[in-house]
Amino acid sequence: MTGFPQVERDDTSAAFYDAAAREELLMQRGPSGTVLPPEARTDPASGSADLEPVTVSGDGVLVSWAVVHRAPLPALADAVPYVSAVVELAEGPWVIVRLVGDICSLSAGDPVRARFVRSGAPEDPGEVLPVFEPVATGVTS
Amino acid sequence: MTGAAIAGLGTTAMGKVYGRSSTSLAAEAVRGAVADAGLALTDLDGLLVSSGIKQDVGVGLAAVLGLQDLSVLNQVNAFGATAGVMVAQAAQAVAAGTASTVACVFADSPLKPKESAGSTYGAPQRSGRGRPVRGYAGWSVASGATNPNILYAMCARRHMERYGTTSEQLGEIAVAQRSWAARNPLAQMREPITLADHQESRWIADPLHLLDCCLVSNGAVAVVVTSADRAAGLARPAVHVWGYGQAHAPRRMQAGSDWGLVTPAARSGPQALRMAGVGVGDVDVAEIYDCYTYTVLVTLEDYGFCAKGEGGAFVADGRLAPGGTLACNTGGGQLSSYYMWGFTPLSEAVIQARADGGERQAPRNDVVVVSGNGGILEHHSTLVLSPHARSGR
Repeated sequence: MTGFPQVERDDTSAAFYDAAAREELLMQRGPSGTVLPPEARTDPASGSADLEPVTVSGDGVLVSWAVVHRAPLPALADAVPYVSAVVELAEGPWVIVRLVGDICSLSAGDPVRARFVRSGAPEDPGEVLPVFEPVATGVTS
Repeated sequence: MTGAAIAGLGTTAMGKVYGRSSTSLAAEAVRGAVADAGLALTDLDGLLVSSGIKQDVGVGLAAVLGLQDLSVLNQVNAFGATAGVMVAQAAQAVAAGTASTVACVFADSPLKPKESAGSTYGAPQRSGRGRPVRGYAGWSVASGATNPNILYAMCARRHMERYGTTSEQLGEIAVAQRSWAARNPLAQMREPITLADHQESRWIADPLHLLDCCLVSNGAVAVVVTSADRAAGLARPAVHVWGYGQAHAPRRMQAGSDWGLVTPAARSGPQALRMAGVGVGDVDVAEIYDCYTYTVLVTLEDYGFCAKGEGGAFVADGRLAPGGTLACNTGGGQLSSYYMWGFTPLSEAVIQARADGGERQAPRNDVVVVSGNGGILEHHSTLVLSPHARSGR
């Protein structure tokens, strides 16, 4: 797996990357029960900032995607062409992620599942990152 | 009907204008707009300032222009919706009597010699080669979706998947706008293109080709807003502000979201038309924010020019091109003319409302709509402009 820039945790994201290292996907849940992406600060349904961590299934469906041919950043230059996608998790939140695996034939609504990859170069590894792949041809990790 | 009118328009050279600061360009545009109106800088009692991605023009522009007695001075930022928001604020100030004559200016200078246009909008603070990217931003960078090209491509894809919209239909928008640009001496890109050129242009982020994406430009545009009564006695034909609206829906990323399919234009457009007392069928000229071809398509749907999902069919067969049934982006827009955020459609709307369009003048100009879109289809402003005072129509 190449083309993932080296990622380093900070205090806020430490639990998320710890979970990823265990091959778990960590989101947040607000008082309304709404499940939110890890970087969310407010539950839009209740206006509350009182969010608690929640581990989700890692199952989802493909909302949309783009095949990126022109790297937006130098750190992604080695990765093109690659697929960026919006995935709707089974628990509700949408996440913007890298899509890997068999990406020759995609349709909105396709089932996808989280898998986990090590960021950075082998000699200089970073945190483990959640990515997604189509379920039909995916190799569970 | 707001009782306000645009009395002056100032533009600088556009595109690869090097060696000038955004502030210097902004000052030139304000001077130009004031002179166009037949006014002096000392007639201004309001100044609204906006700049592009670097946000490098501020209220200090007032001092640069020697404006020492202002009632209204603000920096405004609603991203690509800013131009419409500024004109609305200026019209509100005029209506409330808190200012009589307000200049609104946008300037940007992201282009540098020897740097690609795309690099200017690529979130350089997170470029990260050789340096780890920290926190959640690292996950975001690893997703690869770090610039508007990619996120708009995902919006366009969603529409394609849901409604069967095609790349060729997006291409029709690019081709139509280039044919308008060919008639616009201010436009940066005037060489006609075909649908095949669009299809063969390189992928940026599939489904968006190069020719689906806007230009990047250095330059500035300013307008002067005053009361309709005062504007009627000034040097140039008054462009009356009949209505305005704005709506914002910052990214809703949750099950059931219509993200990318329906934009805040669906609230902003009808709001402005209602204030103006006209319907979408009355619109003669539509200057629609076009950071991408897809933005035009989805905004036309959201404004009600066609039903949701029918934008692809609506823009086909040259409907938006010269001679088509809807004069749309008559200067070539941001795809072909120049990229001044919402001041691109606003400046062309003023030109069309004044019947100054020359070879590209639309056959009718009684009702001109201006849209502004910002973020990833998250912010929208709409203006309804006319050469006529509302009562005199």
